[in-house]
Order: sequence, then structure tokens, then C-alpha cells
Amino acid sequence: MNKFLYLLTEGVKNIWRHKMTAITAIFSLFIALYIVGVLATAGNNTHKVLHYLRSKYKIEVFFDQDISNEQAIGLIHKIKKIEGVRTATIIEKEDAVRIFKDQFGENIVELLGYNPLPVSAVVNVNRSRRDPLRVEPIIKEIRSISNVDEVRYQGNLINKIERNYKRVIDRLPYLSGIVVLIAVLVIYNTIKLSVYSRRDVIETLQLIGASRTFIKLPFIIEGILIGVISATMVFPALFISVKALNYVASNFSSFNMKVNFDPLVLIWMLLMVIVISLVGSYRASSSFLK
Amino acid sequence: MIEFKNVSYAHSKGYGVNTLNMTIEEGDFTFLIGPTGSGKTTLMRLIYFDILPDNGLVKVNGFKSTEMTVRKIPKMRKSIGMVFQDYKLLNDRDLFENVALPLHVLGFNPRDIPDRVDEALDLVGLIGKETHYPNELSGGEQQRASLARAIIKEPDIILADEPTGNLDPVASFELVRLLETIHETGTTILMASHNYNLIKGRGRPIYELKDGVLRVR
Repeated sequence: MNKFLYLLTEGVKNIWRHKMTAITAIFSLFIALYIVGVLATAGNNTHKVLHYLRSKYKIEVFFDQDISNEQAIGLIHKIKKIEGVRTATIIEKEDAVRIFKDQFGENIVELLGYNPLPVSAVVNVNRSRRDPLRVEPIIKEIRSISNVDEVRYQGNLINKIERNYKRVIDRLPYLSGIVVLIAVLVIYNTIKLSVYSRRDVIETLQLIGASRTFIKLPFIIEGILIGVISATMVFPALFISVKALNYVASNFSSFNMKVNFDPLVLIWMLLMVIVISLVGSYRASSSFLK
Repeated sequence: MIEFKNVSYAHSKGYGVNTLNMTIEEGDFTFLIGPTGSGKTTLMRLIYFDILPDNGLVKVNGFKSTEMTVRKIPKMRKSIGMVFQDYKLLNDRDLFENVALPLHVLGFNPRDIPDRVDEALDLVGLIGKETHYPNELSGGEQQRASLARAIIKEPDIILADEPTGNLDPVASFELVRLLETIHETGTTILMASHNYNLIKGRGRPIYELKDGVLRVR
């Protein structure tokens, strides 16, 4: 018990004794963990961004001129039944006149003496599906409904967004893997360097009869502490970054969306850094033991 | 007791020791002399099992080189105190922490440690310097600190490998005198040196190593 308490305090004291090495290690680990945290948060919010963009997809359906508001309601029910359609809202002839006036400043009924604008509908697509959305089949089905005169939608833009989303989703696991691997190597080598700089301590301890566990334990405790300190610093840094991003997005852009911060990311990062520090310091101290 | 029976060891570059036979009885104070590169350090390393012989048997306090394992080495070294030419003090710890280190290794109660450190520092004349770091001590003081660290666990054997190598004549003489004082308590001492003038006329057995071959002087 005496030995264990001594080794525990030695692990803590070592950080103080080697302040500069510890600060360098903490900073390196902080950077590596911060990048992992940013990537994990981005990954978590990818679908949310898509969800937001899909909410902006707009399909405008114009019915034949002779279709009344009541007949249009029946057609809208048909549109709502199409797979992938979330909502369909009627724009009655009178609403169309008001919209025209809002956009062009003229009352078209007063100009022409009658209302030439047809009843129309605004269709929103389902946003929550995780796989890329294809609007063409929806458009095709809407067009197949009788009395539908014209369908307008941002086909190119939607396809571009969906294509890029697929690209991101396909590559994210590989990118995350590479970043995590780099982070692991940075953390591992930082811990190893920190042990390397004190290989004389290992040699001396061996000469005075210290067991392998006695020699390794302070390094392991020190490594874990450095990892935990770095992770503890990353938590507020990530939290502040997300808050700042949300603040900029809501105040200085039209991008009305909030990035979420999943606390589970922090727990994973803490576990990751503890395991790597433990393995890194154990292996590094073992490699300098004869 | 230290016993060498037909011990040979060759370093990868060729030099080493050849068919050594030597016995140092419990309580002996023995000198080992020889020029630089003669194999003194190799012989010392064979005693604390830093290296194992290619041939022959080394027996130290009942531990045999032929039965030595990685786990047994720390146990064996607990009964040996070592002093080196380069002191091997830990520069990141003060004198008190350096000297107390073997007691922590042995699992001493922390309450008993300060008294024992005081006792060891008193013996080597370093009382009052407990909070000094190695780089704040002179060469002689560092070597005496190293000796205090070696004796604090009251070892059966003290191995001193060129302990005066970096010291001036006065400090060297003082150190040998200190070792003789420690020897009076019954500790077996083996001191290696290349300085014959320092050890001659002390009435102690002297082994001479030359080109890896040992003879009694």
C-alpha cells in the first residue's frame, strides 16, 4: 500500500517536475483530440444540415386554368399520397393574385380585368431519410396526375446537394478513421517521447532494484493524467466552438440551423485518450527497460 | 558473498573478461584495479547481473547467474548498493528524494523514511542539503549523495565502480575513508579504480584486471 501511494504521487509529481514536457504533451494531445472532436461533431450534424437543406426544397405544381380551388384540393390529396411527399399546400387563385402583387407591385386582376393565375400547390419532400433523395420519381408521378399543367422545381440544385451529401456520407468513415489514426499516433508518440526524455530515471531505478511495475506505474499514471487533462481542456473548447458557430450562423448568415453537441462524443474521446495513454506509456516505459 | 567460477564474457566488439575466478567473502573490502578498458565495469555488471556470463558461473548472495530471470534481478539488487563514476542521481529530484528512493522501492513506511535519510546524510556529511538538487551540489557531494543512497537500505554488498573517477584527490581520499567506515559495520565492499595510489597501502586485497584477465596483486 505504501508503495502504491508513493507511485501514485510520483505520477502526479512527475507532471510538475517536467512542466515543459507535460505542457507540450498536453498541447499536442489537445490539438489531436480537438480535431477528432470537431470531426465527430461534424459527423453527428451532417444529416441535420441535409435535413435543413431539404426543408428548403420546393416543388411548385400548377394546375390547369379551369380547375377551381375545390377541385384542386382533391388533386392535392392525390399528391400527398405519393411516396416521398411530406406536405402539399394549396395556393388558391386569390392567394396567387396577392403573391403576384407582393412580387411585382401590380394587381393583375385590375390590369387584365380577370384572374389569369391558376390554382397551384407547394410540395415539400420528406426530409428525414438517410439515403440520398431522388426527386425525379416524385415529379414524374405528380406530372402523371390529370389536370396538372406544369411542375417547377430546383432539379439541378437538389441533385447537387444530394450527390454531395452521398459523397460526404461515403467518405466520412474513412476520413474519421484517418484522423483518429493520426490522433492515436500523435498521442502515442507524445507519451513515448515524454518517457524517452527520462530513460535515465528508468536505468537508475533498475540499478537500485526497483521492479518493472514500480518503474512503469508512475509513467502510466502520468500518461493517463496528461490524457485526462487534455480531454478536460478539449470539452469546453469544443463546446465554445459549437456555441460560436451557432451564434455566427444565426446572427450573420441566413443559415438558420443549430449545430448540436453530443456529450457522448466527450465520453468516447475520454475513453480513447485514457486507453491510448495507458498503452503508450506502458509500451514506452517497457521499451526502455532491460 | 561474491563468487566467480571460470567466468567469461565478450562484448560484441570483442573485449570483455576471460575465465575469471574470484571469491569475495562476506565482510571483505576488496579493491579491483586495472587501466581503462581492462574489464572492471564488465566485472561489476556481471555481479549485479546487468549482463550474464557467456561461460561460467557468477554467484552473489545465493543468486546464481545460471538461474537468473528478469523477475529475480530486482530482488537480488535489493541487497546491493551501487556507486558509479557518474553518480546516477536523478536530476529532477532533490537530495532527500534521491536518497530516500531505495526505501520506497523496498516499501518502507513513509514515517520511517526521514529518520533513515537523516542518518545516511549524516554519515556522508550532507546534513542540511536535503532540498538541494544534484546540479546544486559539487562533484564530491554528488558522489557522497550517491553513497548515501547506496547505504540507506543497509545492503550486504556495496559495489563502487570508479567512484573517484570524477573527483579531486582530497574528495577521492574522503570517499575511500567513508567506504572504510561503512565497511566497519560488516558490509562487503568491492571498489574498482584505475588509481593505484589511492588504494595501495590500505591492507586490503587487491585484484588486478588486465586485458580481461584477473590476478591477485
